Amino acid sequence: MASSMILRSTLPRTFASATGRNSLRSVLQVRAASSTTQYVPGGPILKGTVNDPTEFPPPSRTHGSYHWAFERIIAASLVPATAAAFVTSGSSYPVLDGLLGLSLVMHSHIGFDSMIVDYVHKRKFPILSPILTWTLRSATVGVLVGVYQFNTNDIGLTELIAKVWTA
Amino acid sequence: MQTASALRSSVRSSVRSFASSARYQASPALNKEFKIYRWNPDDPAKKPTLQSYTIDLNQTGPMILDALIKIKNEVDPTLTFRRSCREGICGSCAMNIDGQNTLACLCRIDRNPSKKSKIYPLPHSTFLIVTILNPLNTFAFTVYIVKDLVPDLTLFYKQYKSIKPYLQNDNLPEQGEFLQTQEDRKKLDGLYECILCACCSTSCPSYWWNQDEYLGPATLMQAYRWIADSRDSYGSQRKEQLQNEMSMYRCHTIFNCARTCPKGLNPAEAIAKIKLELAAD
Repeated sequence: MASSMILRSTLPRTFASATGRNSLRSVLQVRAASSTTQYVPGGPILKGTVNDPTEFPPPSRTHGSYHWAFERIIAASLVPATAAAFVTSGSSYPVLDGLLGLSLVMHSHIGFDSMIVDYVHKRKFPILSPILTWTLRSATVGVLVGVYQFNTNDIGLTELIAKVWTA
Repeated sequence: MQTASALRSSVRSSVRSFASSARYQASPALNKEFKIYRWNPDDPAKKPTLQSYTIDLNQTGPMILDALIKIKNEVDPTLTFRRSCREGICGSCAMNIDGQNTLACLCRIDRNPSKKSKIYPLPHSTFLIVTILNPLNTFAFTVYIVKDLVPDLTLFYKQYKSIKPYLQNDNLPEQGEFLQTQEDRKKLDGLYECILCACCSTSCPSYWWNQDEYLGPATLMQAYRWIADSRDSYGSQRKEQLQNEMSMYRCHTIFNCARTCPKGLNPAEAIAKIKLELAAD
């Protein structure tokens, strides 16, 4: 085990200098402690001995099953909502139009948020990740306000798509 | 008497050598090139390379593992790989063969000599592949290569241990063993057969990016194997552990796990069942 720890700490750095990506890496990758592992260039040093199990983050249903169920319900309800928008007219059923706009935006928000969690997670990118998260949140709020304005003061989402479709 | 036995043994040996040489000489040489990932920890500054070996398939067994053993025995004894049972039950020889994670002992050699076979260790244990795929993402190297085709699976085993892969029940039966109906036993089929070769986990993109937090298909399927077991009474605790953003919900039903599993199991289905149970909870 001792030899493998040495392996872990020295090898990646040798690689890094060999490929000349060291400077790039230090800009992008800030060493950050996470719940289970600490990142060093080239990979994490595992917490505990080889015989210790990994740990779980504190349980939270909001981040777990509730989030998942909400995401799936929105995704599934988009199918009838889109179909309904096809057969009816947005101006005669403004509530339906508003619901479609709202659920589309929520659906995209969850999708983009999932990308941030997957690829730009806070434990790896402690600066970039919050910037992206808040950019996404403000964009979502902005789009929601825009959709509301458009649906109340203008022709509405469904009518717009129908117009663009035939244009 | 002595001459008779000497004569008999010489006849026998000549017969045997005739038989074996006839078998080997019956078909002409079918040379095929194997390109195998090499990296030596004693020379860490040297980049990993693909080394070519050409062997005669007519003097080799049918499986990739036979070719590897032949290369190690006859061509290059420094080639390093894990193997044990040679029949797909130990999971030691898991590696990436022609772009697919599988067990070398269950993977037939493609007998087309014009096609080179490429053999890499389990992915995202390799320096080369990650650099090509994603030059900016340096976090991806989290499984290490020990040498050549041998990956370091320490994290994989630590994660497996974290789901407590053993029976937990405080109410022991008064006598004898835990009994189970045939229907309850059937729920474990397709789950208990997993040999933990790590082919599925190392083929999962979510596991590539987030393997320090996400458990991966192999471990999650075993988590479900114990949730589904009627004899286990800690199901709610087991499920509660997974109630967070990272441990299980990084599964995006990509199905690479089910596609690559050399035992034909379906970890994605097991994960979907956990998600359903958590949502209904």
